[in-house]
Amino acid sequence: MTAPFAAAALEPDAGGPPDLGGPVVLALPKGRILAECGPLLARAGVHPAADYADESSRRLRFPTDDPGLDVIRVRPFDVATFVAFGAAPLGICGADVLMEFDYPEIYAPLDLGIGGCRISVAEPVATAGSDDPRRWSRVRVATKYPAIARRHYAARGIQAEVVELNGAMELAPGLGLSRVIVDLVATGSTLKANGLVETEVIAHVTSRLIVNRTALKTRPDVISGWIARFRAALGDAA
Amino acid sequence: MTDDPPPNPALLPSGLRDLLPPEAEIEAASVEAIMSSFAAHGYQRVKPPLLEFEDSLLAGAGGAVAEDTFRLLDPDSHRMLALRSDTTPQVARIATTRLAAAPRPLRLSYAGQCLRTRGSQLAPDRQVAQSGIELVGVDSPAADAEIVLVVADALAAVGLTRFSFDLTLPPLVPAVLAAAGLDEATRRGLARALDRKDAAAVRAHLGADGAALARMLIELLLAAGPADRALAALDAADLPDAARRLARRLQETVAAIHARAPGLKLTVDPIEFRGYLYHTGVCVTVYAPGRQEELGRGGRYLCGESEPATGVTLFPDAVLRAAPRQTPRPRVFVPFDMDPEAAADLRRQGYATVVALEPATAPMAEARRLECAQILTEHGLSTVATE
Repeated sequence: MTAPFAAAALEPDAGGPPDLGGPVVLALPKGRILAECGPLLARAGVHPAADYADESSRRLRFPTDDPGLDVIRVRPFDVATFVAFGAAPLGICGADVLMEFDYPEIYAPLDLGIGGCRISVAEPVATAGSDDPRRWSRVRVATKYPAIARRHYAARGIQAEVVELNGAMELAPGLGLSRVIVDLVATGSTLKANGLVETEVIAHVTSRLIVNRTALKTRPDVISGWIARFRAALGDAA
Repeated sequence: MTDDPPPNPALLPSGLRDLLPPEAEIEAASVEAIMSSFAAHGYQRVKPPLLEFEDSLLAGAGGAVAEDTFRLLDPDSHRMLALRSDTTPQVARIATTRLAAAPRPLRLSYAGQCLRTRGSQLAPDRQVAQSGIELVGVDSPAADAEIVLVVADALAAVGLTRFSFDLTLPPLVPAVLAAAGLDEATRRGLARALDRKDAAAVRAHLGADGAALARMLIELLLAAGPADRALAALDAADLPDAARRLARRLQETVAAIHARAPGLKLTVDPIEFRGYLYHTGVCVTVYAPGRQEELGRGGRYLCGESEPATGVTLFPDAVLRAAPRQTPRPRVFVPFDMDPEAAADLRRQGYATVVALEPATAPMAEARRLECAQILTEHGLSTVATE
């Protein structure tokens, strides 16, 4: 079978088609993790325009000194969405975001070891330990992680009635909105200041380099090149 | 009572859509181009029905798609019927029953619509066209290579010039995990971590005792990419026997493809097994650069209980979105009093004629109103000026 392929079908990966001529986009999360990303990006040889870490800058997309790479700055949850749909083939986000969205289109090939914290259950000091959670049928949970909360309690045979909040979860139990909260805990000082105590750790969380699945398949050289650069920056052999 | 507005009649159930002119015509023509390319390679067309008895449609390979399948009760037989969500199990049934005595290798092709109960994140459509081939009765690298080459030819037939084949070995991970003697819970967690290429989770599931295995798996998952590099990583990995046999087969398949089409773009992802539910050997997914969706997928499976088979299904909708835009046949306005024979002659030349049903005072304006690019006049074809 000598199929007469159109000549272009046979080009291995020369240059890339016009629609892929632009730079690869790396999505970075606003807030807590962004500052910790800086040194790592520098070690990977990525130097974005200076105002990328300045949250008061109105720019959202920043060139880097590498013409083949731009960075964008979006909310942490949105990093996962941009990468899942391929709008940004690369991103950095916390494992908490990946656990919550569970996008099948995202690969998380590298643990960057930054942004360490945990996702935990907390409740007021007054109620903690006052009854046996194994006897619960259901529990009202205030959280910005509805999927994680539901999954966590479902595995224990408990329905989680989720009250979705975008911030100030710590207020919810005291004002009667929920019995417990599920939230990120870094030092525990916010919990303490609001009379809450951490009762259970759901997972330990660090930030990951994430990659769009299709991008890895269709631009393997470029994308795995970036994975290798970050891997080298981590000095991680495993 | 609340006053909800009446539903808009244009609203369709999620994942379903109308194809309008000219897309519907272009789609039909492209499917025919794909099918005629398959036919030219000796793949003979079969046409299974839309509905089958649930227990036969979902038996064997079909069981893997049971969750995605619509069912209804047959008022005639009072048995459950299932609407196909994938055509391959139907073709496999034909191959092992009605065509059991047909000579092997049996080359079959099909084109038709499938329905599934839910779409995915990247492909929200619930009605999906499939055009595919099945090569039944041979288990060899040459057969694995043939389906890739035939599909490449079919894609070229619809004008697609840039695409790549991602070759995978869905049974490799299960073989490695089985040989490692892991307990069920670890195996399940690990399979999920590998599916997401989550290196940290792979390490966490295997712990300190499994550090060597974790290192190998992570090397393999980072090796996904151009075929040569990935095959080298597979070669270097310390694989158990069953997995080594699979890896060797993949190498032979890549060599067979390269021998026939040296420039065809191949990637290899040794750890990938996503969506390959009933497959037993080398599998393939078709991608186009810059497109998120898969253009097609397939691979080796068992037809009936034991007969080796392989095949690929193309998704013509996705193929069309990736291919350069095709033009439908040009439309010519034929004013009321023109010679019918002149119009017939244009149709023979491949034009679409739009014949006026009544005299018009300004035929040129009428032609423009009916979106015809040309008009038939006493002196032949004339271009319709845009306003």
